[in-house]
Amino acid sequence: MMSYYQAYQPIIDFFLLNLGFAYSQQVALRAGVFSVATAGFGALGAYASAILVTRMGISPALAIATATLVGTAVGFLLSVPLARLRGVFQAIATLAFVEVIVSFLYYAEGITGGAIGINNIPRMVSTPALLAAVAAVMYVTWAIGRSGVGRAFDALRQDETVAACLGVSIRNYHALAFVLSGAIGGLFGGLQSLYVFSIEPGQFGFGFMVAILTAIVLGGRGTLIGPVAGCAILALLPEIARPLAENRPLVNGVILIAVIIYLPQGVGDGLLLQWRNRRSARRARAIEEASRAVP
Amino acid sequence: MKLSVRGLAASYDGIKALRGVDIDVGDAEMVALIGANGAGKSTLLNSLSGFVRQRSGEIRFEGQDIGRLDPHAISRRGLLHVPEGRQMLSDMTVLENLQVGVLARGNRTSAWDERKVFDLFPVLEERKDLAAATLSGGQQQMLAIGRALMGGPRLLLLDEPSLGLSPLITDQVFEVLETLNREGLAILLVEQNAQRALAATSRAYVMERGTIVAQGPSAELASNASVIEHYLGG
Repeated sequence: MMSYYQAYQPIIDFFLLNLGFAYSQQVALRAGVFSVATAGFGALGAYASAILVTRMGISPALAIATATLVGTAVGFLLSVPLARLRGVFQAIATLAFVEVIVSFLYYAEGITGGAIGINNIPRMVSTPALLAAVAAVMYVTWAIGRSGVGRAFDALRQDETVAACLGVSIRNYHALAFVLSGAIGGLFGGLQSLYVFSIEPGQFGFGFMVAILTAIVLGGRGTLIGPVAGCAILALLPEIARPLAENRPLVNGVILIAVIIYLPQGVGDGLLLQWRNRRSARRARAIEEASRAVP
Repeated sequence: MKLSVRGLAASYDGIKALRGVDIDVGDAEMVALIGANGAGKSTLLNSLSGFVRQRSGEIRFEGQDIGRLDPHAISRRGLLHVPEGRQMLSDMTVLENLQVGVLARGNRTSAWDERKVFDLFPVLEERKDLAAATLSGGQQQMLAIGRALMGGPRLLLLDEPSLGLSPLITDQVFEVLETLNREGLAILLVEQNAQRALAATSRAYVMERGTIVAQGPSAELASNASVIEHYLGG
């Protein structure tokens, strides 16, 4: 059993790291913010903690806390110019933000090590720390879902006009979504760089962004279970499809298209919604029959 | 005076939709605004609730100028707009829709809660765990009104509450509005169904091409020859 666990530990750890980033992506989408800035927040968090630990000898806990703060601050700053944009324009602007961050990491060689990156990072993060971080983020996501903030996010995502009629400030709640996305992204960026030994700018580029977005499209953007489902599929798929060798991306693509067609809300959200709707329909029928029975 | 509007002008997509509108709603008054399609009735409500940004003139709500406020800030003061077409948050359950309504309360206190809304609309209580999308048109209208009540309204703006409803359900909705008004809630009601609106209200305005062309006690307007000819299907 123990050796079984050890063989799969790297997969579990990467699953947990991706899960964190997926929650950063999800909180933005949940509020109707089409941000793909998670990759940028992650990159800033990763470099912040790597530089603090390797060059300044700062403790890992403090470095990760700083990474979280950097993500939070950048999330807030980003929300100011992006408040007026919506939908695909917001997506393009945040994509540009990620590209600017990645370019900066390449060119600011003195600080970031350029294309070579930072390679002498000690591994200071292990599975229990990742589990604790994921649990904390899941708790925050759950608490938001049960609070007025979650209801405001859900209302905003479904219909901005109705949300404003109900007293929801579009600007403030979109800013809050950016801040939360930035904080979670920064936190997991910080954890990642203290786990993987070395970081370089390329790993936070377009591919990373698409992978995190895919996890949410596969899993779902409204529920706590969505990112878990999405990341689990993405983590297990390469293992299951291993015999297909270089055709694995093809399998990824086919599964993604199938989910978009048949479960457009994502596997997690979609199945939950179907279950809820079936229960709803059953109860509605019962109510209709009961009211018909009364003459 | 609950609401006092002077010289309100507004453009919608570059078209002048309102050209100097003056209206008043008293503290516990229920006022109707009738007029043909495209007269500017909805634009007027959207200007009051802050959604039409290009507006000039004066809008005073409980004595304070709200002409520069954002829609959410206006809602939070208790001027609550139930938009045309009901606008359910359809993924949410009936109860969740009502809970969203609480957000408009801000720091104000309100006597409204789920219990009182369910007492007013028992049909919603039976369906409180159902997705809002499964409701009939009439039930959705009731939910939209109930959701606004959860925000503790001090003035309720209603845009075409009878739209697409059967006469029986329309009666039910109007009965509730009249009850709310008797309990002291100020209501500004926009309706195509002029007959129904004039019967339910004490005072009314008639709107045509962006201005008020007639006003007075609803009973008088209902017997006015020109109003009968144009709006009551003479």
